[in-house]
Amino acid sequence: MKIRVLSIPVQNQDNALKFYTEKLGFVKKFDIPLTEGNRWLTVVSTEQPDGPEVLFEPAPKNFEPAKTYQKALFDAGIPCAQFDVESVQEEYVRLTKLKVDFTVKPTDMGAARIAVFNDTCGNLIQIAQLI
Amino acid sequence: MTFYEKEILRIRTLCFSNVKQTETVISTRTYIDNNFDKELNLNFLSYIRFTSKFHLLRLFKKYYGLTPKQYLITKRINESKKLLENGMGVTESCYLVGFETPSSFSTLFKSRTGLTPSEYQKKSNFHKVNHN
Repeated sequence: MKIRVLSIPVQNQDNALKFYTEKLGFVKKFDIPLTEGNRWLTVVSTEQPDGPEVLFEPAPKNFEPAKTYQKALFDAGIPCAQFDVESVQEEYVRLTKLKVDFTVKPTDMGAARIAVFNDTCGNLIQIAQLI
Repeated sequence: MTFYEKEILRIRTLCFSNVKQTETVISTRTYIDNNFDKELNLNFLSYIRFTSKFHLLRLFKKYYGLTPKQYLITKRINESKKLLENGMGVTESCYLVGFETPSSFSTLFKSRTGLTPSEYQKKSNFHKVNHN
Protein backbone atom coordinates (compact mmCIF):
# COMPACT_ATOMS: atom_id res chain seq x y z
CA MET A 1 0.00 0.00 0.00
CA LYS A 2 1.38 3.41 -0.94
CA ILE A 3 0.36 7.02 -0.48
CA ARG A 4 -0.15 8.30 -4.02
CA VAL A 5 -2.82 11.02 -3.98
CA LEU A 6 -3.83 13.71 -1.50
CA SER A 7 -7.19 15.35 -2.29
CA ILE A 8 -7.66 19.07 -1.86
CA PRO A 9 -11.24 20.29 -2.35
CA VAL A 10 -11.42 23.19 -4.80
CA GLN A 11 -14.23 25.41 -6.01
CA ASN A 12 -12.73 25.79 -9.49
CA GLN A 13 -10.19 23.39 -10.99
CA ASP A 14 -8.82 25.89 -13.54
CA ASN A 15 -8.14 28.46 -10.82
CA ALA A 16 -6.55 25.79 -8.64
CA LEU A 17 -4.22 24.68 -11.43
CA LYS A 18 -3.22 28.29 -12.06
CA PHE A 19 -2.51 29.02 -8.37
CA TYR A 20 -0.66 25.80 -7.57
CA THR A 21 1.52 25.94 -10.69
CA GLU A 22 2.09 29.67 -11.14
CA LYS A 23 2.39 30.70 -7.48
CA LEU A 24 3.49 27.57 -5.61
CA GLY A 25 5.60 26.13 -8.44
CA PHE A 26 4.03 22.67 -8.73
CA VAL A 27 3.71 21.01 -12.13
CA LYS A 28 0.74 19.27 -13.73
CA LYS A 29 0.93 15.48 -13.64
CA PHE A 30 -2.44 14.17 -14.90
CA ASP A 31 -5.33 15.97 -16.58
CA ILE A 32 -8.01 13.47 -17.55
CA PRO A 33 -11.44 14.75 -18.65
CA LEU A 34 -14.42 13.21 -16.84
CA THR A 35 -18.12 14.15 -16.87
CA GLU A 36 -19.85 17.53 -16.42
CA GLY A 37 -16.60 19.41 -17.04
CA ASN A 38 -14.86 17.77 -14.06
CA ARG A 39 -11.31 16.43 -14.54
CA TRP A 40 -8.95 14.06 -12.75
CA LEU A 41 -6.43 16.86 -12.32
CA THR A 42 -3.26 16.38 -10.27
CA VAL A 43 -0.03 18.27 -9.66
CA VAL A 44 3.30 17.25 -8.13
CA SER A 45 6.24 19.04 -6.61
CA THR A 46 9.16 19.58 -9.00
CA GLU A 47 11.36 18.29 -6.17
CA GLN A 48 9.43 15.00 -6.15
CA PRO A 49 8.10 14.38 -9.66
CA ASP A 50 7.36 10.75 -8.74
CA GLY A 51 6.13 11.61 -5.27
CA PRO A 52 2.60 12.05 -3.94
CA GLU A 53 0.18 13.97 -6.14
CA VAL A 54 -2.26 16.68 -5.09
CA LEU A 55 -5.66 16.02 -6.63
CA PHE A 56 -7.93 19.03 -7.17
CA GLU A 57 -11.19 17.51 -6.02
CA PRO A 58 -14.21 19.52 -7.28
CA ALA A 59 -16.39 18.27 -4.39
CA PRO A 60 -17.44 21.73 -3.06
CA LYS A 61 -19.01 22.43 -6.47
CA ASN A 62 -20.90 19.14 -6.65
CA PHE A 63 -21.62 18.07 -3.07
CA GLU A 64 -23.14 20.54 -0.60
CA PRO A 65 -21.71 18.97 2.62
CA ALA A 66 -18.19 19.25 1.14
CA LYS A 67 -18.79 22.96 0.51
CA THR A 68 -20.05 23.42 4.09
CA TYR A 69 -17.07 21.56 5.54
CA GLN A 70 -14.57 23.49 3.42
CA LYS A 71 -16.10 26.83 4.49
CA ALA A 72 -16.16 25.84 8.18
CA LEU A 73 -12.44 24.97 8.10
CA PHE A 74 -11.63 28.17 6.25
CA ASP A 75 -13.65 30.37 8.61
CA ALA A 76 -11.90 28.80 11.62
CA GLY A 77 -8.52 29.46 9.99
CA ILE A 78 -7.71 25.72 9.91
CA PRO A 79 -5.41 24.54 7.08
CA CYS A 80 -6.68 21.66 4.97
CA ALA A 81 -3.16 20.47 4.01
CA GLN A 82 0.47 21.04 4.85
CA PHE A 83 3.53 21.20 2.61
CA ASP A 84 7.17 20.97 3.66
CA VAL A 85 9.49 23.80 2.66
CA GLU A 86 13.20 24.42 3.16
CA SER A 87 12.57 27.86 4.64
CA VAL A 88 9.19 29.15 5.77
CA GLN A 89 10.54 32.70 5.96
CA GLU A 90 11.86 32.63 2.38
CA GLU A 91 8.60 31.18 1.05
CA TYR A 92 6.67 33.80 3.00
CA VAL A 93 8.70 36.58 1.36
CA ARG A 94 8.48 34.98 -2.11
CA LEU A 95 4.74 34.31 -1.96
CA THR A 96 3.90 37.68 -0.42
CA LYS A 97 5.59 39.32 -3.42
CA LEU A 98 3.27 37.22 -5.61
CA LYS A 99 0.29 38.71 -3.71
CA VAL A 100 -0.47 35.51 -1.79
CA ASP A 101 -2.44 36.31 1.34
CA PHE A 102 -1.11 34.85 4.63
CA THR A 103 -3.46 34.32 7.58
CA VAL A 104 -0.60 33.19 9.85
CA LYS A 105 2.81 34.81 9.40
CA PRO A 106 5.95 32.70 10.10
CA THR A 107 5.53 31.43 13.65
CA ASP A 108 7.71 29.11 15.73
CA MET A 109 6.04 26.18 17.49
CA GLY A 110 8.76 24.41 19.45
CA ALA A 111 11.11 22.98 16.86
CA ALA A 112 8.81 23.71 13.93
CA ARG A 113 8.22 26.93 12.02
CA ILE A 114 4.87 27.33 10.29
CA ALA A 115 2.90 29.82 8.23
CA VAL A 116 -0.58 29.64 6.66
CA PHE A 117 -1.82 31.12 3.39
CA ASN A 118 -5.02 31.33 1.37
CA ASP A 119 -4.92 29.18 -1.79
CA THR A 120 -7.74 31.25 -3.38
CA CYS A 121 -9.67 28.02 -4.01
CA GLY A 122 -11.50 27.93 -0.68
CA ASN A 123 -8.67 26.53 1.45
CA LEU A 124 -5.91 27.51 3.80
CA ILE A 125 -2.58 25.75 3.35
CA GLN A 126 0.14 25.45 5.97
CA ILE A 127 3.83 25.41 5.11
CA ALA A 128 6.26 24.02 7.66
CA GLN A 129 9.93 23.34 8.31
CA LEU A 130 11.84 21.79 11.18
CA ILE A 131 14.23 24.23 12.80
CA MET B 1 -8.09 36.16 15.64
CA THR B 2 -9.25 32.84 14.16
CA PHE B 3 -9.87 29.65 16.13
CA TYR B 4 -6.65 28.20 14.63
CA GLU B 5 -4.51 31.18 15.67
CA LYS B 6 -5.88 30.95 19.21
CA GLU B 7 -5.04 27.24 19.25
CA ILE B 8 -1.48 27.92 18.06
CA LEU B 9 -0.96 30.35 20.92
CA ARG B 10 -2.58 28.03 23.46
CA ILE B 11 -0.54 24.98 22.42
CA ARG B 12 2.67 26.98 22.22
CA THR B 13 2.15 28.24 25.77
CA LEU B 14 1.35 24.78 27.08
CA CYS B 15 4.05 22.81 25.28
CA PHE B 16 6.86 25.16 24.27
CA SER B 17 7.02 28.00 26.79
CA ASN B 18 10.53 27.13 28.01
CA VAL B 19 12.74 29.10 25.60
CA LYS B 20 16.02 27.73 26.95
CA GLN B 21 14.78 24.18 26.54
CA THR B 22 13.73 24.90 22.95
CA GLU B 23 17.13 26.43 22.19
CA THR B 24 18.93 23.37 23.62
CA VAL B 25 16.96 20.97 21.45
CA ILE B 26 17.20 23.03 18.28
CA SER B 27 20.95 23.55 18.69
CA THR B 28 21.41 19.81 19.24
CA ARG B 29 19.63 19.05 15.98
CA THR B 30 21.67 21.72 14.18
CA TYR B 31 24.84 20.15 15.58
CA ILE B 32 23.78 16.71 14.32
CA ASP B 33 22.90 18.18 10.89
CA ASN B 34 26.34 19.77 10.61
CA ASN B 35 28.31 16.81 11.99
CA PHE B 36 26.32 13.72 10.95
CA ASP B 37 29.39 12.24 9.24
CA LYS B 38 31.39 12.21 12.48
CA GLU B 39 31.17 9.87 15.43
CA LEU B 40 28.33 11.21 17.59
CA ASN B 41 26.73 9.81 20.70
CA LEU B 42 24.38 10.97 23.42
CA ASN B 43 27.18 11.46 25.97
CA PHE B 44 28.95 13.88 23.67
CA LEU B 45 25.77 15.72 22.57
CA SER B 46 24.67 16.25 26.17
CA TYR B 47 28.20 17.29 27.18
CA ILE B 48 28.34 20.10 24.60
CA ARG B 49 24.89 21.36 25.66
CA PHE B 50 25.70 21.21 29.40
CA THR B 51 22.76 18.94 30.11
CA SER B 52 22.20 15.39 31.32
CA LYS B 53 21.93 12.76 28.61
CA PHE B 54 18.60 11.45 29.87
CA HIS B 55 17.16 14.96 29.95
CA LEU B 56 18.40 15.64 26.41
CA LEU B 57 17.02 12.31 25.20
CA ARG B 58 13.56 13.09 26.62
CA LEU B 59 13.58 16.66 25.30
CA PHE B 60 14.73 15.72 21.82
CA LYS B 61 12.05 13.04 21.54
CA LYS B 62 9.40 15.47 22.81
CA TYR B 63 10.26 18.08 20.17
CA TYR B 64 11.14 15.92 17.15
CA GLY B 65 9.36 12.65 17.86
CA LEU B 66 12.68 10.77 17.49
CA THR B 67 15.63 10.11 19.77
CA PRO B 68 18.91 11.83 18.77
CA LYS B 69 20.21 8.44 17.60
CA GLN B 70 17.13 7.81 15.44
CA TYR B 71 17.40 11.33 14.05
CA LEU B 72 21.09 10.84 13.25
CA ILE B 73 20.37 7.58 11.42
CA THR B 74 17.56 9.21 9.42
CA LYS B 75 19.86 12.08 8.51
CA ARG B 76 22.64 9.74 7.42
CA ILE B 77 20.27 7.61 5.35
CA ASN B 78 18.86 10.71 3.62
CA GLU B 79 22.35 11.98 2.85
CA SER B 80 23.43 8.57 1.57
CA LYS B 81 20.45 8.56 -0.80
CA LYS B 82 21.76 11.75 -2.42
CA LEU B 83 25.24 10.22 -2.84
CA LEU B 84 23.83 6.99 -4.29
CA GLU B 85 21.60 8.95 -6.69
CA ASN B 86 24.72 10.76 -7.90
CA GLY B 87 26.44 7.48 -8.68
CA MET B 88 28.72 7.03 -5.68
CA GLY B 89 29.50 3.45 -4.65
CA VAL B 90 27.70 1.83 -1.71
CA THR B 91 30.80 1.39 0.48
CA GLU B 92 32.08 4.89 -0.14
CA SER B 93 28.63 6.38 0.56
CA CYS B 94 28.44 4.36 3.77
CA TYR B 95 31.67 5.79 5.18
CA LEU B 96 31.10 9.32 3.91
CA VAL B 97 27.82 9.69 5.83
CA GLY B 98 29.34 8.32 9.02
CA PHE B 99 28.31 4.66 9.21
CA GLU B 100 31.00 2.37 10.51
CA THR B 101 30.34 -0.78 8.51
CA PRO B 102 28.68 -1.44 5.14
CA SER B 103 26.63 -4.27 6.68
CA SER B 104 25.03 -2.05 9.34
CA PHE B 105 24.50 0.62 6.66
CA SER B 106 22.73 -1.86 4.36
CA THR B 107 20.56 -3.22 7.17
CA LEU B 108 19.49 0.24 8.35
CA PHE B 109 19.01 1.48 4.78
CA LYS B 110 16.76 -1.44 3.95
CA SER B 111 14.76 -1.12 7.15
CA ARG B 112 14.04 2.55 6.35
CA THR B 113 13.53 2.45 2.59
CA GLY B 114 12.55 -1.14 1.84
CA LEU B 115 15.51 -1.45 -0.55
CA THR B 116 19.19 -2.23 -0.13
CA PRO B 117 21.53 0.65 -1.09
CA SER B 118 22.43 -1.02 -4.38
CA GLU B 119 18.78 -1.72 -5.21
CA TYR B 120 18.00 1.91 -4.42
CA GLN B 121 20.79 3.06 -6.71
CA LYS B 122 19.62 0.85 -9.58
CA LYS B 123 16.06 2.11 -9.19
CA SER B 124 17.21 5.71 -9.10
CA ASN B 125 19.31 5.21 -12.27
CA PHE B 126 16.32 3.59 -13.98
CA HIS B 127 14.14 6.62 -13.15
CA LYS B 128 16.82 9.01 -14.41
CA VAL B 129 17.05 7.17 -17.75
CA ASN B 130 13.25 7.17 -18.08
CA HIS B 131 12.95 10.88 -17.29
CA ASN B 132 15.70 11.76 -19.77
